[in-house]
Amino acid sequence: MAFERRKILLVPLDPVHDIGLKMIRRGLEQAGHQTMLLPPDLPPEEIVSIMGKEHPDHVMISRTLGYGVGEVLGRFVDLADAAGLRDKTALVVGGMAVRPELAAELGFDAGFGPGTSVEEVVAFVEGRPYQPDLAGAKKQKKDITAGYAYEYRHAGIGNLLEKIVTNILTWSEGKISPGILRSRLRDESWDVESFRQGKVSREFSEAYAQLCDPVPQAFHRKGEVHPKTRRQTDQEIARLEDYLTKTKSRMTVSKVQHVEGQPKVFIQYGTGCPFMDIAHIKVCEAWGADGVVHFDPSWGARTEGFIGGFLTHQEDGSVVTPENLSWIKAALEASTLWQVRAHRGLNTAETVVLAGKLGADLTKINIAYGSLAAGTDPARLTVDGIEAIRMAVKYKLPFDVVTNEELAGVPAHKAFAGMLIVTALGRRLGARPILQPLFSYSPEVMIGGQMINNYIDFNAAKIEALRSIIDAPLWPGAPIGFLTQTEDRVQSSMTTSLHAALAASLRVDAISIASSDEAYSGGPIIAASRVDTLQAVAEGFRFFGEGRITPTVHAQQWADEMVDKIEAVLKEVAQSPTFVEALYAGLLGSKEEGAYPGRGGRGTVTEK
Amino acid sequence: MVAQGVLSRVMDALDLETFLVCSSEEEGKELAIRLMKSLGFQDVDLVFIRFGGPGARIRVRAYIYRPGQDYAWVRQIDDGEKRG
Repeated sequence: MAFERRKILLVPLDPVHDIGLKMIRRGLEQAGHQTMLLPPDLPPEEIVSIMGKEHPDHVMISRTLGYGVGEVLGRFVDLADAAGLRDKTALVVGGMAVRPELAAELGFDAGFGPGTSVEEVVAFVEGRPYQPDLAGAKKQKKDITAGYAYEYRHAGIGNLLEKIVTNILTWSEGKISPGILRSRLRDESWDVESFRQGKVSREFSEAYAQLCDPVPQAFHRKGEVHPKTRRQTDQEIARLEDYLTKTKSRMTVSKVQHVEGQPKVFIQYGTGCPFMDIAHIKVCEAWGADGVVHFDPSWGARTEGFIGGFLTHQEDGSVVTPENLSWIKAALEASTLWQVRAHRGLNTAETVVLAGKLGADLTKINIAYGSLAAGTDPARLTVDGIEAIRMAVKYKLPFDVVTNEELAGVPAHKAFAGMLIVTALGRRLGARPILQPLFSYSPEVMIGGQMINNYIDFNAAKIEALRSIIDAPLWPGAPIGFLTQTEDRVQSSMTTSLHAALAASLRVDAISIASSDEAYSGGPIIAASRVDTLQAVAEGFRFFGEGRITPTVHAQQWADEMVDKIEAVLKEVAQSPTFVEALYAGLLGSKEEGAYPGRGGRGTVTEK
Repeated sequence: MVAQGVLSRVMDALDLETFLVCSSEEEGKELAIRLMKSLGFQDVDLVFIRFGGPGARIRVRAYIYRPGQDYAWVRQIDDGEKRG
């Protein structure tokens, strides 16, 4: 089709606001059209008079709707009609409160409301369908560990970490646990393709059942599911398939980031029902989430072995089963990063295998946190954690090392010492660990007062301290701003947004964000609340762009202190007879600080 | 419609925020307005909508009082003060 140059009269029917029209004029002129911008606030009679002289193809009126404006616009259309210009000229109205149906009601040919792009208007003028720039929203999975060499920047701490890692590996040699045996059985004898075809290996089920607690045993031998759960019915599954097919057909993923290099944004799901999780995940993908993190129920971490089935329940956390994970994976867009957490319990190593076989991109492992604040026996989690890291290497799964023990009251420097030990262990074994310090209003700062003035300095100090020790990726969480959120939707979204902006300013690689229901404990979080914080984070990223937040002098002081304290803790751990004894001795978090060595799996570590 | 009961204590309007499962923005708008009307509200408007693949985040409003109307809450508070 040959290009047809159009003449467009641009009319700001508003005393002041003509910015939108100026942007449109630039777009139209760049597209080769002739434009004429009238001064603001002309009466309709004068506009119609100019139309009679200029004979434009289109008249575009911009006006913020308010009291009486509808009448003015209607009168303009009537005057144009009476002057015989209505049939020759397309009349268009645009503005903040304009909607297509309102424009039609007033007699206009088209109406453009908020969010209209210049390209959309140009397409309208040229009489062609508008095709949004989908390429701009095209997303690809990013390896957030890419580009990191894991070199120690602090030689003294590096030496201590290497010594501790050697001690841990020496101590663990020849030790085995039911968790390790299950992970190896799952690794060697569970064929994911056969599983996808619905084939059940009796041999695997029986061998596996022998390594499990009674509830998983009952599943693998008799098909009984956990008493708190129920299977999704065939009808529900058919509906889910239908829902997913329809939703995927109209999915476009958006970006939260405004400029290149802003952190990847993860959300956490785990409503208890994988179907609802999928519904939430699709919403989050549409609103720009780059990754999703699977939250499982706490009893899953305390039970030896996994059950199976496409299971739902009405409690926090969605059960880890091969079927549940497979459905989640099937629902994800190709660009979405998927993390399955393994970090804290009796199934740590096997979770990594399952996650790897079912196509996860990331996992989570932290021996110190799982031992001190998540209820697992330190010796058990040490041997299982090493196995988990080896499996993470095998399945090429980077993992974050979260410091949630900070929430129990363990000071950051001790939690970081534990995180760095696990990171060094991963480094030695060839893994790609990611540091996950908390951006939270933790008990340490509540008591110590480091956040009395602002939430910036102590969080910035954490990042600065860790960066001065090792060249490794950083993924603050989880979620950022934890314990700063209230039940108020605006406050909650705002504090998440500001913490995200701080994270972006500190140039970290990723963040995990809450929903605006983070502080609400009366029931599961809802989809609308997930949208709130994603929108808020996008606005935070938009606001700051490549700009930076400047911490006060306290940040560097606290970072320096933190590094010194981390080194002191690591010296003590290095001098301890074993890492496990260091955990029991409270070197990485004491009972007074809220850390209690766990009992789950105690006595289950044996020599080969 | 004259506001009755607790609704009369709403200062001006009632906003409903949710996520509607729908296949287009147009459908989302229609559903949002229909939702409010099904709840018995007549003076309703869609304040905000953003559609993405699975549906629409909406904020839909029912005006209980437009400016210049007879605000029942004024009388009720006066009554309360007198009773107190």
